[in-house]
Amino acid sequence: MTASATPTDAAQPTEIDNASVRDASAITLRNLHKRFSGDAIALDGVDLEIRAGEFFTLLGPSGCGKTTLLRLLAGLEAPNEGSLTIGGKDVTETPPHLRSVNTVFQSYALFPHLSVHDNIAFGLRMKGIPAAERERRVQEIADFIKLGSLLERRVNQLSGGQRQRIALARALVCEPDVLLLDEPLSALDAGLRTQLQVELQRTQKRLGMTFVFVTHDQDEAMVMSDRIAVLDSGIIQQVGPPHEVYERPINAFVARFMGHVNLFDIQGIHDVTVTTALGELAMEAPLQPGKHGGVMLIRQEVIELGPTVSEGYNGLDGVVKERHYRGSRIEYRLEVNGQPLMATASNLGQRLYAVGDRIKVSIHPEDVVRIEA
Amino acid sequence: MKRGAFQRGLSLFWWLMLAFLYLPLAVIVFYSFNSANSAAYFAGFSLRWYERLLNNDQLLDALSNSLTLGIASSIIALIVGTLIGYGMYRHRSRKLGWLIVLIYLPIVMPDIVFGISDMAFFITLDREFGILGPSLMTMIIAHVTFQIPFVALIVYSRFVGLDPTLFEAAKDLYASPFQRARHFLLPTLKPSLIAAFFLSFTLSIDDFVISFFTAGPENATLPIYIWGAIRRGVSPEINAIATLMIGAVVIAAVFSLLFNRRGHAGS
Repeated sequence: MTASATPTDAAQPTEIDNASVRDASAITLRNLHKRFSGDAIALDGVDLEIRAGEFFTLLGPSGCGKTTLLRLLAGLEAPNEGSLTIGGKDVTETPPHLRSVNTVFQSYALFPHLSVHDNIAFGLRMKGIPAAERERRVQEIADFIKLGSLLERRVNQLSGGQRQRIALARALVCEPDVLLLDEPLSALDAGLRTQLQVELQRTQKRLGMTFVFVTHDQDEAMVMSDRIAVLDSGIIQQVGPPHEVYERPINAFVARFMGHVNLFDIQGIHDVTVTTALGELAMEAPLQPGKHGGVMLIRQEVIELGPTVSEGYNGLDGVVKERHYRGSRIEYRLEVNGQPLMATASNLGQRLYAVGDRIKVSIHPEDVVRIEA
Repeated sequence: MKRGAFQRGLSLFWWLMLAFLYLPLAVIVFYSFNSANSAAYFAGFSLRWYERLLNNDQLLDALSNSLTLGIASSIIALIVGTLIGYGMYRHRSRKLGWLIVLIYLPIVMPDIVFGISDMAFFITLDREFGILGPSLMTMIIAHVTFQIPFVALIVYSRFVGLDPTLFEAAKDLYASPFQRARHFLLPTLKPSLIAAFFLSFTLSIDDFVISFFTAGPENATLPIYIWGAIRRGVSPEINAIATLMIGAVVIAAVFSLLFNRRGHAGS
């Protein structure tokens, strides 16, 4: 940079850079394999495109490979096979300190020997950003994340929520191409967690930065994400926006993981009639040719309960076995043809059924879905 | 009440233990201020033995040898021990159990074994190659060998107490390997390094056996001088030297403790 450059001159090229990056795909993963010593396979051929400016979530149970994938993006692990492109550059072999990627760690990993201010300034200092600009940017991010009064504190004097914010500020201040977040909210209590979920999402939208978020909590994933990738056993099961993954799960694993489902093994399908342990139910459309077997999915919240069967619906006889009152909704565990069936009703002030009540269960053919086992 | 009696008994036991540990030291300190020539009676307060010390050239030489030996060996042990401690931490996941035991072993090895082995080793080197005859250098090498395990263990335990993701956070925040050492490892270790230095120094000042076997004729340290002086008869001067040494060791030990504690409080 020349001596005559003003702050505005300096700021403009970065804006242009950001815009050009945003057109391109932010992250491309090709056939990534990762094995750990022994035969533990963490990633078994992952192909994925993450768009620039997107809030992307890697969702799955522990041991599914989501954290390994994040660590590969950060450069903290190297893949055994495959390639990794960030912002158009192949970074498969690039060490972490040369990648324009920052991480918010699950444990926050704030440096105990430094004040809050010096923690936030650490990345800028390592990059060799001049002191004046460093100060300006630390102040800016401190205002943005609202932790101005904490700057001179030592990190061991802070609460969990404050540490989380500082870890976020320390990563954001570096203005990386991609921000990686490794279950950053899992150590916080429920109330704070909900609040920070919203804050994180807002922050991401305001900055237009690409966020890759790892969590095992499907509610958290759905609230925050533009798109979700569900992982299991090192393989991506499904990628899509939250409503798609929730409403149209591709297989039984995804359906079970997203929750609130009833699944029954399919015993036979003839035209639009599907036979399971529950009985015979009508589906909306006949099965695509070449597909057979699989699992029948009925979401808990599409099941209607009442004294009669609604017109055009599948009708079943059920007995209430358990009732869980949750305020905004009521969950019933029913028994239908000797099979357990979960139904969730929004609480609209309708009558509550008691354990032992015999009721009619109505399911619309559109809500009877066949998925892969 | 029964419980009250038991508590009082415990506290009495505590004071008895302290007396057991510190009474001999207190007696030495007390008699170092005795104006009489003998420890048989106390004739009144005096600093004459301390004055005598200041005019005793042999003793001052011994003191200077002790300090040179203590500081030089501690600095070398600090550098080597820190590298070993870091290596032990970095490769802790590998099966290095028996190697780590080799680092612990010198701590429990009797000094006399160490001293004799060092002596035999240096004499052999001197005879065969004409290097490392008994001198201050051989003493420094011998001291470094027993200081290293302590330094390595202090550094290792500091690293084990740290959140391992801190190492990754430093990488993630653009720190090159050199910057990680300069801006993360060293500042994080600093209190432990100071503690390790003072502990090494204390061990060195304290050592008689190993120094005795590896010293050249010119290199008597304070403990060796005291030993020689006592063979000629206990002089009250010895009480004064001992008192000064107690003071020095207490100060170094307190520093070591304070800094080690501060290091661990940070994590």
